[in-house]
Amino acid sequence: MTDQQDRATRYGQAPAPLPDLIDDAPPLTLRQRISSKSVAPWIFLSPMLAFGVIFFLLPIIFAAYISLTRWNSLTAPRFVGLKNYEYLLTGDPKFWGTVWNTIYFAAGTLAVGIPLALVLAYAFTRAYGQAFWRSIYWLPMITNVVAVAYIWKFLLDDSFGLVNMALGKLGLPGPGWLTNPGIAMISVILVFVWMQLGHNMLLFSAGLANIDESYYEAARLDGASESQLFFRITVPLLKPTILFVLITNFITGLSYFTLMLVLTEGGPVGATNVTALYMYKMAFEDLRMGRASAVAYILFAFILVVTLIQLRVFRRGGVEAH
Amino acid sequence: MAIVQSRSGGAIAWRILKYALLGAGVVIMVVPFIDMFLGALRTPAERLANPPVYWPRDPQWINFKRVFTETPALIWFKNSIIITFAVTFIQLLTSSMAGYALAKFRFRGASLLFRGVLGAQMFPFFLFIIPVFFILRYFPMAGGNDLFGQGGSGFLNTYAAIILPFTITWYGIFLMRQFFMGVPDELLDAARLDGAGEFRIFFIIVLPLVLPGLATLGIFVFVYQWNEVIWTMTITRTAPDLQTLPVGIYLLRGAFADEATQSLQQAAVAVSIIPVMFTFLFLQRFYVRGLTAGAVKG
Repeated sequence: MTDQQDRATRYGQAPAPLPDLIDDAPPLTLRQRISSKSVAPWIFLSPMLAFGVIFFLLPIIFAAYISLTRWNSLTAPRFVGLKNYEYLLTGDPKFWGTVWNTIYFAAGTLAVGIPLALVLAYAFTRAYGQAFWRSIYWLPMITNVVAVAYIWKFLLDDSFGLVNMALGKLGLPGPGWLTNPGIAMISVILVFVWMQLGHNMLLFSAGLANIDESYYEAARLDGASESQLFFRITVPLLKPTILFVLITNFITGLSYFTLMLVLTEGGPVGATNVTALYMYKMAFEDLRMGRASAVAYILFAFILVVTLIQLRVFRRGGVEAH
Repeated sequence: MAIVQSRSGGAIAWRILKYALLGAGVVIMVVPFIDMFLGALRTPAERLANPPVYWPRDPQWINFKRVFTETPALIWFKNSIIITFAVTFIQLLTSSMAGYALAKFRFRGASLLFRGVLGAQMFPFFLFIIPVFFILRYFPMAGGNDLFGQGGSGFLNTYAAIILPFTITWYGIFLMRQFFMGVPDELLDAARLDGAGEFRIFFIIVLPLVLPGLATLGIFVFVYQWNEVIWTMTITRTAPDLQTLPVGIYLLRGAFADEATQSLQQAAVAVSIIPVMFTFLFLQRFYVRGLTAGAVKG
């Protein structure tokens, strides 16, 4: 507060107008100016804006440019137009295989993971000992992916892993979980579902907690069975949450590749080589930055279409997506 | 119990089934961790036996010490701590600053910026790996580079290269904005009338009010960053001094390939899990809020 204002209030007069409106008032100091209501928000936003330009807008444009070049990162990039895209979509013997693997993985995690998470969340939501169940089911979700990969590498070992030893005790032949090209992707899907189960259970149980208990009580009075309660009340009322989990899981699945990189390195014989992993190895092992950026953009375009469908569905379904 | 008795037989059967399901799930969730733990305690001889000995007869607790003396785990551990704490602190600061501006100030372009924050979340991480790597590599005036980004190695081979791409997350900004929306405008106006500057208001008055929000974002970022693999690996592939626990364990996998050293690998894996497990057990209620905020409505 300026002296002038101070004096005015002290003598019981109406406070003087704000100093910057008075012509002969002393000019604001730099300090006051910076912490004024009109400048402050921009200072609060400055880290975000700087980051947004350097690590968000610039990379998006830069990646688009690289995708139009041939560049091994050691010599100068050479502009080749749309050749990278053309090669990937029409000439590359591996690209479409990785797309198929990506869809297989994303759809597989949904098919296995969503029903499992839904049923377990339903059992969990009205059970005793919430804190206990929760801590255990979330354990894999907070475990780093390298640990998950090495835990399962030992468990799924062909001859001496716990899984195949247990199957052997039951007299069943244990498959080569990570060595058989026909089975490796299924193993990756199962491990991923194991990792993500707690996350999806959490989303479902948040949705389940929103369902009014009175629906169930009314239905029980009418003599509904437990399975009727689940399929006639829970599932319909939970539809927005189920849709949300389905679509966000699908998008995550399409862009995911860390587990494949660490657990199977895309093998055996490319059976778990998803498109994002194909891009990563193309860039940092084969040093084909241009073509890898084109892979990234094609995959991104595909994911964007799915995302836009998601937004439409949610607007109609009344779910606010973040 | 009277309530249970008044229910039908089907309801009781469902109760039993419910706990059987949850129990079976627990076995599948926990057994892998126990398997790893037992593995860390085995002797090389027990591993070499045919078939291998499953329950270690002479548990090698010393393996948890050997991990730190015979592998670079101590360096990895130190790097994990430095990077995780730095990223968590920076993100709490930047996200709350931006979230506060978007929640509590009216200015030209505010809604456009907020829509930008929401839209930016649609861009997947993999799209940024290649360009950001080279932006850091050719960053002007960093790591011996000249004004045009030539001559040196930029931010590569420094902590900055690992930390900078995680100084801000759009989700963090969104989350903090939601928490700031709950702070009443009257409180801010009262502080302004008392002559407090905007920064004093933010740091002294508003931030303490959103401590639950900071805890939520903090535990979220902590768990994420401790477990981050792809980016850290991309940057530190040729810089062993900067590797974190998960990345170090993965990149040194060749040295852990035989029966003599596999127990050490499993012990290292256990070491990489334990800190985040304990943090999580104490702060999990905040984690729930982070995951469900904005996800489910209706």
